[in-house]
Amino acid sequence: MAERVQQIEVMQAPARRPGRGRALGYLVLAAGGLLAVLPFLWMLSWSLMTNVEVTVGRVLPAQVHWSNYLTAWDKANFSQFMWNSSRITAITVCGLLMFCVPAAYAFARMRFWGRNVLFAIMLATLMIPDIVTLIPNFLTIVWINRLSQSLFGPAGAWMNNWPSLTIPFMASAFTIFLLRQFFSQIPDELWDAARIDGAGHLRFLLRVVVPLSRPAIMTVVIFSFIGSWNALLWPLLVIQTDEWRPVAFGLTKFVQADAGDEFHLQMAASVIMILPILLLYFVAQKQFTVGIATTGTRG
Amino acid sequence: MLEQRAPFTVRRRRVLLENLTAWLFLAPAGAIIFLFGIFPVTFAFFVSLHRWRRFPDDFRGLDSYVKAMGNFGYVVFFWLSLALLLLAAYTFWRLWRDCRDAPGRAGWILPGVAGAGALIALFNWFFTLLPVVLNVPVRLRGQEMTRDLFIGEFFASFRFEAVLAAADVLWTLLLLFVLALLLARRFLPGAEALRLLLLATGAALALTAGALLLQLTLDEIGLAIAGAQEDGLELPVWSQIILISAGAGLLGAALWLWQGALGDYMDGRFAGRVLLVVLAVIGAVLLIVQLPQALAEADDDMLQGFSVTVMYSFFSVPLQLTLGLGLAVLLFQEIRGKSFFRMLYFLPYITPFVATSTVFSLLFSHRSASPANQFLGLLGIESQNWLLEPTGVLRLIFGEQVPVALAGPGLALVVIIFYNVWVYAGYSTVIFLAGLGNIPATLYEAARIDGATGWKQFRHVTLPLLSPTTFFLILIATIGTFQAFTQIFLMRRPGAFKAVDTINIYIYEEIQSGNPNYAYGSAMAFVLFAVILVLTLIQNRIAGRRVFYG
Repeated sequence: MAERVQQIEVMQAPARRPGRGRALGYLVLAAGGLLAVLPFLWMLSWSLMTNVEVTVGRVLPAQVHWSNYLTAWDKANFSQFMWNSSRITAITVCGLLMFCVPAAYAFARMRFWGRNVLFAIMLATLMIPDIVTLIPNFLTIVWINRLSQSLFGPAGAWMNNWPSLTIPFMASAFTIFLLRQFFSQIPDELWDAARIDGAGHLRFLLRVVVPLSRPAIMTVVIFSFIGSWNALLWPLLVIQTDEWRPVAFGLTKFVQADAGDEFHLQMAASVIMILPILLLYFVAQKQFTVGIATTGTRG
Repeated sequence: MLEQRAPFTVRRRRVLLENLTAWLFLAPAGAIIFLFGIFPVTFAFFVSLHRWRRFPDDFRGLDSYVKAMGNFGYVVFFWLSLALLLLAAYTFWRLWRDCRDAPGRAGWILPGVAGAGALIALFNWFFTLLPVVLNVPVRLRGQEMTRDLFIGEFFASFRFEAVLAAADVLWTLLLLFVLALLLARRFLPGAEALRLLLLATGAALALTAGALLLQLTLDEIGLAIAGAQEDGLELPVWSQIILISAGAGLLGAALWLWQGALGDYMDGRFAGRVLLVVLAVIGAVLLIVQLPQALAEADDDMLQGFSVTVMYSFFSVPLQLTLGLGLAVLLFQEIRGKSFFRMLYFLPYITPFVATSTVFSLLFSHRSASPANQFLGLLGIESQNWLLEPTGVLRLIFGEQVPVALAGPGLALVVIIFYNVWVYAGYSTVIFLAGLGNIPATLYEAARIDGATGWKQFRHVTLPLLSPTTFFLILIATIGTFQAFTQIFLMRRPGAFKAVDTINIYIYEEIQSGNPNYAYGSAMAFVLFAVILVLTLIQNRIAGRRVFYG
């Protein structure tokens, strides 16, 4: 009896952690949190200062200058770049869903000849570093651009136009894999019931699978959004005019050329650029962490 | 034939319909992934074998690879072709084993080989056509480019003599393949037909690719040696190939013996250990002596790029994982505000690199009023140049007596490593948290009953059971750091010279210059690909022994 009591005590002891240890834990966690947000706070503070205040190293602005945002927006030509990035993102996300959802459905729920081989090939493409495909893809796009322009005139242009920025990203092995994992968890009974009701694959996909998979689809949309908001290297190669350059390029150009010495404006522009992503993050935060925890990357 | 199986017609129609629907569903995504994800790999290899500035030019063999890696390029390609030939031999052996009991099945090898032939003919036709098509603008140079002229020349490309000849071969082999397939379906047992077919195709493909690559390598080596002899020089390619292969082989053998094959048997036997050490030492010495010689002619800027990449990866990955693990373990306890902390840690990871690296370049600015320099001032240390400082950190701390080679990463690179850790520590935390959640609570209870608390629990329960997550993170982080581009591109300053230029940056410079060299860029991209693959394989091997999958 005494032994058992002792055992129970042993089992409970670690659960009731001593207060000091827990306080230390909180301290470390808070320090980590502070380090994580400190650059953002600095960014915010600097964006509200005058340039002189930034250069002399003040921590907080003496007076808050909201007008910096307007100045930065105008000087960086963000009306154009934000509009570009929104267009690019919208087209990419629509295309991605249109192409990847059926493909993932086929891999998850249909039996067809060559399924496993195709799936394995698709997964193998995940191992190829982007830099290997960069040059040939650029050459391919240059060529498609030439051909398409001579067939359809200037409207058929791929370079300096939306197709080169969006079409290569409208299908990704990663997205198809993620969706497939989700689609295969849908119970077979639903498919049997749908088939008895006379539904085919397309109707089942649109009426049952897609509504049930809203969380997975949201995750995909968010990853794709971040991806096209961040894209810099590829647009640098295929776009030479401001008409379709994304906001990441706009900010880079602003920081490196137009506002080289105006640090407060650089910071204001940076804040503007991350704002849409932050909004999305706070609205769909659960989607973010769950999506990343289950898949491991942000696509 | 259909009538014979009349009872199954309905089912067969349904199967056919299902197949068609599935392929229709896959077609758009498949086309894009093929065009921009799979085809580019072969295209890049094709580019790397040519002189290729804006337009394709003549075949140059392994020149780009030798420019990048010196004579070591020959060694690598020699190994690669041998590996392909070995793969072919192994696949043929598997085929033979499969068909030993049922000789009838061996017939499936025929359509398999024909299929491989058709595939190779397809490749041949396509890559004969490709430069002809890509050179349309070159052929039309000097004429006014009109739509009809361009389209006309485009379609004329398909009727070039070489292209037509390749097309003839393609049609013949395709016909042969279809015939062989039909015959096999009619007369051979159908069990596991697809598997046999694929095995035979794969074996034939590997055999052809290996043989072609070996031929190319041998030709190139012969040419290089002959060229050097004309200048009255001796090119020790063959001795390098033999010695480096021997060195790597001996090291590999020592590792293999030590790891398992004879490990138990030789444990405690003095002679066995001596043999191991001798093997390893000879192998290592061979490599240490020969590798620098083989790499002597290599591109110094590329080697520099690799050394920066390796340092970047080597310092970032352990730091970000340790921090992530620590925070995750703290967060995993019964505490308030768990999701709040998780949200904070995750913030750097989701915000665009462009914005955050702008802030970092101001935080670590060389001006004396920058936060980083003010912080140093508080500690009584003089201001630093941070992102403009290429000098290694150890040299900065301990002064000039530290040799340049041992000075570690430049201060500019250290700032970028900080940035990387800042971005990815929170990401590691979230993944580690998911991993911690998968460890059954009963194991902790059992450990507690056995009297294990605190550190002991962490060491003997948490760490082993978390090892799959850790392994996954190490893999992802290594690959990610080797491919890093945006943040480095944004934070590099001319003042830091090449202290932060990773291999990716160097490749980008090569293809964005006024006279881009796509062939060399592609060759270096493949070198990077190979390094990443080898690293992944090594990590996999190490993990194979250490990771505990429950």
